[in-house]
Amino acid sequence: MRCAMPDTHFYKYDDYDRTLVSERVDQFRDQVRCRLAGELTEEQFKPLRLHNGLYLQLHAYMLRIAIPYGTLSSRQLRKLADISRQYDRGYGHFTTRQNLQLNWIKLEEAPDALAALAEVDMHAMQTSGNCIRNVTADHYAGAAIDEIEDPRIWAEIVRQWSTLHPEFTFLPRKFKIAITGSPNDRAAVRVHDIGLRLWRNEQGEVGFEVIVGGGLGRTPMIGKTLRAFLPKDELLAYLESTLRVYNRYGRRDNLYKARIKILVHEVGVEKMRDEVEAEYAANRDGALRLPPATIEAIARQFAPPTLPPRLVISGDVEAQRLDDRDFALWLKSNVAPHRVPGYAIVTASLKPAGSPPGDASAAQMEGVADIAEAYSQAELRVSHEQNLIFPHVAVEDLPRVYRELAVLGFAEANVGKITDIIACPGLDYCALANARSIPVAQRISNHFASLARQHDIGDLKIKISGCINACGHHHVGHIGILGVDKNGVELYQISLGGDVDFGRTAIGSILGPAVTADKVVETVDAIVATYLEARREGERFVDTYRRIGAQPFKEKVYGSL
Amino acid sequence: MAKNLSGDLQVASANRLVDGMVVWLDEAGQWTDRLEHAAVARDKRGAEILLERARAEAFTVVDPFLVAVTEDDDGTVEPLSLREKIRASGLTFEAIAADAVRNA
Ligand code: HEM
Ligand code: SF4
Repeated sequence: MRCAMPDTHFYKYDDYDRTLVSERVDQFRDQVRCRLAGELTEEQFKPLRLHNGLYLQLHAYMLRIAIPYGTLSSRQLRKLADISRQYDRGYGHFTTRQNLQLNWIKLEEAPDALAALAEVDMHAMQTSGNCIRNVTADHYAGAAIDEIEDPRIWAEIVRQWSTLHPEFTFLPRKFKIAITGSPNDRAAVRVHDIGLRLWRNEQGEVGFEVIVGGGLGRTPMIGKTLRAFLPKDELLAYLESTLRVYNRYGRRDNLYKARIKILVHEVGVEKMRDEVEAEYAANRDGALRLPPATIEAIARQFAPPTLPPRLVISGDVEAQRLDDRDFALWLKSNVAPHRVPGYAIVTASLKPAGSPPGDASAAQMEGVADIAEAYSQAELRVSHEQNLIFPHVAVEDLPRVYRELAVLGFAEANVGKITDIIACPGLDYCALANARSIPVAQRISNHFASLARQHDIGDLKIKISGCINACGHHHVGHIGILGVDKNGVELYQISLGGDVDFGRTAIGSILGPAVTADKVVETVDAIVATYLEARREGERFVDTYRRIGAQPFKEKVYGSL
Repeated sequence: MAKNLSGDLQVASANRLVDGMVVWLDEAGQWTDRLEHAAVARDKRGAEILLERARAEAFTVVDPFLVAVTEDDDGTVEPLSLREKIRASGLTFEAIAADAVRNA
C-alpha cells in the first residue's frame, strides 16, 4: 500500500493516484479519437467508455462521476458546477450511489470533461462494469454523534486495494460495498453485495460485522452475516478471500444470476462461510494484513477538522425557532446532532416541492459550495438519499445557513419525510427503463408540499424505480413504487413495508395490482390516510404497517379506485 | 388516433456518435435530427431494406434500429412506444436551467 500522505482532515490524492488518473484521461482521449476516426467499432469501444463511466442513454451520453464515500470539498463541487456548465446543460443528478451523473455529455468532449475532473482529483472509474464499484459510506461520517469510528478510513483502504485490482476487474458481475461506522446504519449495509458495520465488542475492541449477499434489483435479498466480528486489520485479507470464493463459484452463464447474492442464496450462508474461512485461513497472515502504521496514516487523512468552541445554545436560534414555524420544522428534520457540542450536521434538501429529486443546477452547486466554505469547513457529503450534507455547522450559524439555503431552494424542511423521495432517472433518460420515475416523484411531491402536513405524517420514505433494476431502491421504500410497462402503458406497482434501518431491514410486499400513472398520487394518498387513521402514538408509517398488516391498506386503495 | 398498431410503418433511428443525440435516417440516406424528415418504411420488406441502409450508414452513429411509428392524414409521423416518443421529443418535465437558483 502507498500511504505516505500529508496529515490533513481531508483525504489527499498522492502522486500515484494522480498519475493513474491522468494516464487514464490520456488513454481515453486516444481511444475516443480512434473511435471518432472509425478505427474502433462500437463493440470494441463500448467497454472502454464504460470503464471511464460514460454510458449512452436515450438522448445523449451520460457521465457517472465517482464521489468516493460521498465526501466532496467545496472546491470539487465548484468544479463539478463548471463542468456541468461547460460540457453539459448546466445541471447534474446526485444519485443513490453517491455519484453525480451528467446527462448531456458529448463524446468528443468527454476526455476534456475527465481532464477537468482530474484537476480536482476526481474521476469516473469504478462507476461501471463488473468491478468493485465506488465504495459508499455513511453520509454523516466524521461528524455523527453515534459514530464509533470514521467509516471513510476503511472505505479509502478498500478503494486503494480495489482500484484496478487485476483479479477483480472482471468479476462475474458488479460488486458494491457499503460501510457504516455507526449503530444507526445510514449506508444501507444489508442491501449491498458486502456491507460492513463497525461495532465495539464486549472486550471493547472495534471490528467489523461482515454482511454478504444483500442486493436489490430483480431478486432483492437482505444480506446475511458472514462474520460477526472481524478484527479491523484483517479486513482486506478477508474481503479478498470472499471475492475469491465469489470469483470461483459465481455464475457467469446467466446475467440475472451472477450477483453474489444469488451464490449465497444457492449455497447457503453456512457453506459460503466455510468456503471463505477456508480460503481465509490460507491468506490471513499474508501481505494484506494491515500494519498499524498504514491504518494510522490513512486515518490521519480523515482526522476531524479543528472546530473552534462555539455556543452550545444560541439565543438567535431559539428566538427564531419560536417565531418562524418553517425554521423550527427545519431544525427538526434537516439538522442532526454533531459529536462536537456547539456544532450540528445540516442536510440541504435537493427535493424542493415539485422538482426532480437529486438534481442541482450549476448555480445551486456553487451556492452550496459558498455555504460550505463560509460555515462548514469547506466540506460536504452526498447522501444515498440524494441530498447534500454540511457536516460541521456551528449551531450559532444555523439561521444564516437556513437563509442562504432558502435562497437556493434547498431549505425545504422535508428530510426523511414523504417528499424526500428517492427516484431513479427512469424513462426520461434511461435506456433500460419501463416507465418514468421523475414526473411521478414530482406529482407526489407537489401533492404533499405542505410542511405542516408532512411533519404530521412523519417519517415516510418513498422510493421510485423505473424498472426492476431497482436503482431507486423501491424494494426498501416504506412505500415503494416500481414502474412497469404493460402493452405500452406505464403502470406502477406499489409495495409497502420496506425498510433499510439496521435490524429492521425488510423488502416491501406488493400491495396489489399495479395502478396507472394518473392514479399514483391518489393511491399514495389513500395509503397515508389509512396510516393516519390507524396509527398509535409515536408510530411511524412502517410501524403501523407492520402492526396492522396490508389488508386495511388494500381495502382503502382498491376499494376507492 | 394510433393507426397501424401492428407496427407496419417504421423509421430507422440511432444515436449520433459524436454527441449521442437522437437521429433518424432520411430518404437521402443522411442522418437527421428531425423526425419529420425520416424515411418511412411501409411494409416488412421496406423495413428490412431501411435497416440495411441504416447499418451501411452507421459510421457516424451508434447501433441503428427500427422504430414503429404511426402516420396522420397530413403525414405527421409519431413513434408508437412511449420510449421512442420521449427519444423524439425529449424530457417530459422541465429540467433545471444552469443558472436557476431556485428550481421549484
Ligand atoms: C441511467 C443509467 C443507469 C443504468 C443503465 C443502470 C443500470 C443498472 C442495472 C442493470 C442494475 C441491476 C444490476 C443487477 O442487479 O445486477 C442497476 C442496479 C442499481 N443501480 Fe443503476 N443504472 C442506472 C442509473 C442509476 C442511478 C441514477 C442510480 C442512483 C440513483 C443507480 C443505482 C443503482 C442501484 C442502487 C442499484 C441496485 C441495486 C443493486 O445493485 O443491488 N443506478 N442499475
Ligand atoms: S431502475 Fe431501471 S429505469 Fe431506473 S435508472 Fe435503473 S435501470 Fe434505469
